[in-house]
Formats: sequence, C-alpha cells, structure tokens
Amino acid sequence: MSNVANGQYEVLSPWAVVDPITLRGSAPRVDDLNGKTIGLFKNFKRAARPVLEVVERELQKKYPTAKFSWFESNAANVLETETENKEKFEEWAKSIDVAVTAVGD
Amino acid sequence: MLANYGFVTDSYSAASGKGMPGIRSISEKVPCESTVAADIEAGVTEVIDEIIETLTRPLTDQEKSPPPMDTGETSRIIFKGNLGEVNRFFYQRGWADGLPVVPPTEEAVAEMLTGTDFPPDHVVTKIIPRMGKATVEKIAINAVMAGALPTYMPVLIAAAQAIMDPKTRFDTFEVSTGSWAPFYILNGSIRKAININCSSGALSPGDIANAAIGRAMGLIVKNIGGARKAVEDMGVLGNPGKYTLVIGENEEESPWEPLHVSRGYRKEDNAVTVFFPNSFSQTIPMQTDDKGIIQAMINNVRGGGMAGFLLIPAHARYLANEGWTRKQVMEYIVENAVTTTGPGVPLPSGEEGVRKMFSDTGSMIIVVAGGPGVFTGVLTSAGGGAMSGFGNDFVTRKIELPANWDKLVAKYKNVVPTYAKY
Repeated sequence: MSNVANGQYEVLSPWAVVDPITLRGSAPRVDDLNGKTIGLFKNFKRAARPVLEVVERELQKKYPTAKFSWFESNAANVLETETENKEKFEEWAKSIDVAVTAVGD
Repeated sequence: MLANYGFVTDSYSAASGKGMPGIRSISEKVPCESTVAADIEAGVTEVIDEIIETLTRPLTDQEKSPPPMDTGETSRIIFKGNLGEVNRFFYQRGWADGLPVVPPTEEAVAEMLTGTDFPPDHVVTKIIPRMGKATVEKIAINAVMAGALPTYMPVLIAAAQAIMDPKTRFDTFEVSTGSWAPFYILNGSIRKAININCSSGALSPGDIANAAIGRAMGLIVKNIGGARKAVEDMGVLGNPGKYTLVIGENEEESPWEPLHVSRGYRKEDNAVTVFFPNSFSQTIPMQTDDKGIIQAMINNVRGGGMAGFLLIPAHARYLANEGWTRKQVMEYIVENAVTTTGPGVPLPSGEEGVRKMFSDTGSMIIVVAGGPGVFTGVLTSAGGGAMSGFGNDFVTRKIELPANWDKLVAKYKNVVPTYAKY
C-alpha cells in the first residue's frame, strides 16, 4: 500500500510484459566473397534499389567471380515470410551465401 | 543491413523484436529516400569495405546463439518516492511523455479498474512493435499516469483493440518517418456520459476526456507497445497530435446519421473510429453556399490520399437543407478534388501532371463536429480507399460498457470545469 500521507508513492510499472519468442542466430559468414552468391534484398522504399545497385557494382569490382541475386519486397513493415511470397523468399534465402539489405532510410 | 545513421538503433530494435537480435547493421550517410545518384554513390562507396568485413567476419557466440530476451518482468512495485521523485523516475526510464504524470499507486489503479468488468490480468491485445501484453491492469496504470477517469477505461480498451486491427496499418503508422498520430472519433451516448467535447474548441486543451484519452493511448503505445520516439518511432518532425487527438461527433447538431451508424453500427451503440493523419488544416469557405462549403473542404486538402473532414454543424445543416447527403458530399469531393505534381517533379511512379486526390469515397470520412463559426477542418493521411496498395482503412470498434456503468457515470460526470465570470 502506498503511504501518500507522508508524501511517498509506491508505484506500479507501466512497462508491459512480453511473451518470450524464439531467438534465432545469424547465418554463418563466408571467408571470401569470390565465387559466392550475394543476395541483395530490396524493400519498398525508393532508395533501396539504387543503394543496392551501387553495392552490387562495387562488390563485383572487388570480387569478379561473385554472383548476385536480387529479391524485391513490396510489403511495408511485414516479414516476407508473412506474405504470399513466403515460399519464393525461402527459396531465395536458400540459394544465396550471404545477404545485404538496404531499407531505403 | 545498410541503414542511414539515424536508423541504426531502429534497425536493431526491429530485428530484435522479430527474434533476430544479432543482425549486423552498417551506418551510412545516404540521405533518407534519396533520389540523387551522386549522394547514393558517395554514401555507399564510403562503407563498402565495412560491408565486406560484415559479410566475412566470423560470428560471435552471441550472434550464433542470442541470450534469452528480457520479457519485461519486474517486481510489482517498481519505485517508491515523493511526487517529484516518481516523475523523474518515470521520465528517466523513458516511460513518460514530457509532462508530469499521476503516480500509478495500487489505490489509483484499483479505482481505474472499476471502469471495466474485465479482470486485471485479462489480455486485451498485444501491441506492436514489442508485442507487449496489453492487460487491463497495464492499460489502467497508463491511464492513471495520463490523468484519466475510470469512465474512460471502456474507450481505452476499445481503442487499443482498434489500433491493433490490421486494417489501420498501425504497424507502419506508429513508427513511420511521417509522424502519423492516431485520431480517435467517438460516437454514441458515451460522449455525453464522459464529457467528451464535440463542440467549440473540441481539439484544444481543456477537457479531461479529450485530453486524457489521447494521452493515455500515447503512453499505452509507448509503454505497452514499446514504440519510443527516435528509437522505434522514427517520425522526422514529430506531431503534437501524438499528445492527444480525440473528438466526439456532434451528433445532437448533425443533420445526418452518426458516423458509426454509417459504418455499420447501431445508433444506440458506442463506438470509436481511428485513423492516422499527420496534418490538421482549417480554412473558411469563400462562399457559404453549398458549393462554396464543399469547395473549401477540397481546397483544405493537400495531396489527398485519406481524409477525415471535420464539418461544423452549421455547414452540415446547410448542405442537408440543400438536399446533400453525407455520401453525396463525399462523391462530389472524389470527383472534383484534383492536385498537380508540378513541372518536372513526377511522382516516384512516374505519374505527372493533374491527378485526382481521392480514389473513392472509402478514402474519407466526414465528421460533424465543432462549434459556432465558419471554419472547416481536415486531417489527412496516406493510402486509403480501394485504390490504395497500402491496404489501410478507417477502423471503427464498438465500446463495451461495464455492468456498473450508470453508477460509474454518476460518480464522475460532474468532474467538469466551472469558469469564473469576469
């Protein structure tokens, strides 16, 4: 009980509790990008594509045998695995060695 | 991930919230949403070595196997102190909104809980992005902090459910750079029962209900949903409407059926309607006949998309007397509201020149509200309507009242200001 008479307030926390979610580790890195398939994940923001185009060009210069694979997402603030493109995305993710995403912001 | 330097913290929060706290985010200086090739070139080439290093540096143990997340569990009593100390504690924890808060003591929260029949541990919804559990008690705690009365609890519960309806696209609007603020419109007898201002100065400070309901929802979004300014909520300029943006429809002075009835509810229902505008504009008609009033509504919109028009009762009555229904006014606006992109500045889609501002009547609502005068208002948002690829819409939710409603109203209804004459 609070003791407001003495000017002291015992207060409850407004911060919510969350259900624990399963955390996932990141995908393993590669030793060298040469010969690897680099995924470029573009979201719906308009700067995402030109940003990743520069990434592709610069990495290609440094790693001539690297290959690039694009995935275009047009969903705003939704996991791709929660869209109708789930299977397509999962196939793409399996097909690449590493991935770079630019969110356009 | 490549993120503008201002969005790196946000990228970690977003990834963590989706179960991947170990992402690697690279801070770059490309201006946000840039269309200038030279700026993009410079910003990306500057970090290309960091991109390579990020893709090739072995994972740490924590990146491979993240430690368990903090679920927010704390002791029930989080702090003890005097009024100033409690306020500093809440503010420094990032749980306040810049204004003083009412200490949420056991007694104050218990009183707030008299405003609902739900048990304190009932989970009303989970609020994004953190998916915090909006228990009735957590809603009550934040309501106490905002200065709310127990009679607002039914509204807060319905409003929490409404914003979490996927059709609002709250997932985007609450954290967007566009600084969108939830605008709550109340209909039904509850407006009078809790003294929601629907008339003169309804959107100005001075009425507890209009002020505290919006403020409580802001704290709920922050403390239950976990959307904090410049951490997850990336509004560029911010929006004073995030303090509160609550109005009641002036049903008593409206010539038309109430908004919630036009949206499928019964007249005797209580309801809250919400959408997320980021601007509020007011203007006066050049002519006060029907075409002049509607043209002022059109002229008051910039850009189009989604609009909540605030039509004063005098204008609504004039239009109705001239034979206009609410639907006909909306159809006229859809047909006649146009804007132009300006020379040499096409839309990102390439579209250029004159275009319609609204796709259909589903992209707008007309709320009869406000007092005597001539000004007309509009709050505008993005997306909306059948043509919107964004999929957002206005959402209306019924407000359920507790069994003790009449006694509760009797207890708090006289909490109104009485202004001295001078």
